[in-house]
Amino acid sequence: MAPKQDLTRVHLLLLFLVLTAGIASGLAIFSSASTVISLIRTATTGLFLPILLSLIVTFLLDPMVTFVERENISRTTSIFLLYLLVAALLLLAVNWISPHWQDMWNSLRTDMPRYTAKFIALLREGQATLLDRFPYIESYDLPGRARTLVEELVAQILVETPKSFLRLGSLLILVPLFSFFFLRDGSRILRLCVALTPNRYFEMAHDLSSLVSRQMAHFIRGRILEAFIVGLVVTAGLSLTDIRYAPILGLFAGVTNLVPYVGPIIGVIPGILVALVDLGTGGQFWWIVVVYILIAQIIVDNFILIPILISRVSNLHPLWVILAIIMGGKLYGVLGMIIGVPVASAIKIALLEIRHYRSTFTLPDTAQDRDRAT
Amino acid sequence: MNPLWSNIFRKKSEEDSLAHFLRNLAVFADLGRRELNFIETLVHSRRYAPAEIVFEEGDPGSGMYAIRSGRVSIFVRTPDGQKEQLALLGPGDFFGESTLMAPAQRTASARTLEPTELIGLFRADLLEANQKHPAITNAILIGLARTLSERLQAAEIAIRKLRTAASGTTSGTPIDIDPES
Repeated sequence: MAPKQDLTRVHLLLLFLVLTAGIASGLAIFSSASTVISLIRTATTGLFLPILLSLIVTFLLDPMVTFVERENISRTTSIFLLYLLVAALLLLAVNWISPHWQDMWNSLRTDMPRYTAKFIALLREGQATLLDRFPYIESYDLPGRARTLVEELVAQILVETPKSFLRLGSLLILVPLFSFFFLRDGSRILRLCVALTPNRYFEMAHDLSSLVSRQMAHFIRGRILEAFIVGLVVTAGLSLTDIRYAPILGLFAGVTNLVPYVGPIIGVIPGILVALVDLGTGGQFWWIVVVYILIAQIIVDNFILIPILISRVSNLHPLWVILAIIMGGKLYGVLGMIIGVPVASAIKIALLEIRHYRSTFTLPDTAQDRDRAT
Repeated sequence: MNPLWSNIFRKKSEEDSLAHFLRNLAVFADLGRRELNFIETLVHSRRYAPAEIVFEEGDPGSGMYAIRSGRVSIFVRTPDGQKEQLALLGPGDFFGESTLMAPAQRTASARTLEPTELIGLFRADLLEANQKHPAITNAILIGLARTLSERLQAAEIAIRKLRTAASGTTSGTPIDIDPES
């Protein structure tokens, strides 16, 4: 028994050493892994936006590149031709807009506090009427909270916009560069990725990737075009009135229109506010409301654009929309809120395509089995 | 000569090139050099181990395969689990072309017998190419259509022969023959 006791003691020591070494190396691996992950994260922080934007640019320009390519011009040359065209158009647009833009920006800086003050006043009024009906919510300082929130937001916009022009400079270099390579080699990159799948699943992966990417391109193109047209309609409609900042309001309405359900409502608010402050509740105010809600949202967007541009399959349940907005906002702030829903729709499209693909090929399968049985 | 430069300027010998292989396929026999070079960018080259399944009966089919090297057995599984070989294909043969243009299920299974290199041409690539280079895609499709109709005609004649033979021997119900197999 005695030698066995000794052995166990040695064993215990060994076990202790092995366990310690195991835990220590585990910790070391874990910490190094987390440093590696944090390194990767810091290395890629600034890349998300340019890559996203260049993917969008790629999806928008791809049909045009294909169109030029049809004339037996090599893809690289056609991309360069298209870039020249786009650059010329952009230059013209900037030349035309920039004087107006400067004036607008300066007057907006002075006007912004007036608009926010009106917003706070409206909120206070609303709370007063609420208090009359439900006296027990007295303790909640809604206008105060809203004031700090709005002031922070406005300060951020006023301070960050010139700063973000600096970032815009880097985007102006990175986005064309990335999208050039995505346009030129995108299909080859996708092909290489698909080629990595094992032989048995290669055919399915290849088929699915082409189906999903076609749907995705269609969806992204549709969404961007829809937002652009809605923005244009709002700008045109508002330009008929005496309201100021029609282009900015139109731009805002267009961008927020990317988010379904919630976006259009948010998009209306600044327009209504500016109209209330500058024009009061006259005939023009109601015309502005009609432009926003009836013309832009209901007639143009719901009756004309959505049926033409966007297939119903990409519709998300409102619950998913809200979840996507919240999660996107947590990840990437305001930008995340805007792109969260399109990304969620893209994921839904991918899943639907996969399910559709499977169901198309399982239904005849059962039919065939029945045939075989008879 | 500098080995680096020789590496850049070295051309693949004509016999080795994929275009040369494609030209020898019945489907692409009538195509010119430019079309063949374009097809080279469309097709996928895949290597298979011996006794590896290429596709099973009932799989969603999306394209055709041509054999560059090796041998492939085409077979169906009988209800009692036996494999019944329909064809044994070698280099230069192609199979699965009936699902190239219309999405359908594979009507038979394919399995490699030795290390095999297959060249796959798939519907998705053809449709995409059709957007960019309709003329070249047309030439490819005409070749395919010709091969398909040749095969269909041969199958029809075979069916007719079998039907007359069956009615001659049993004089009962004609046998159902799957024209695809």
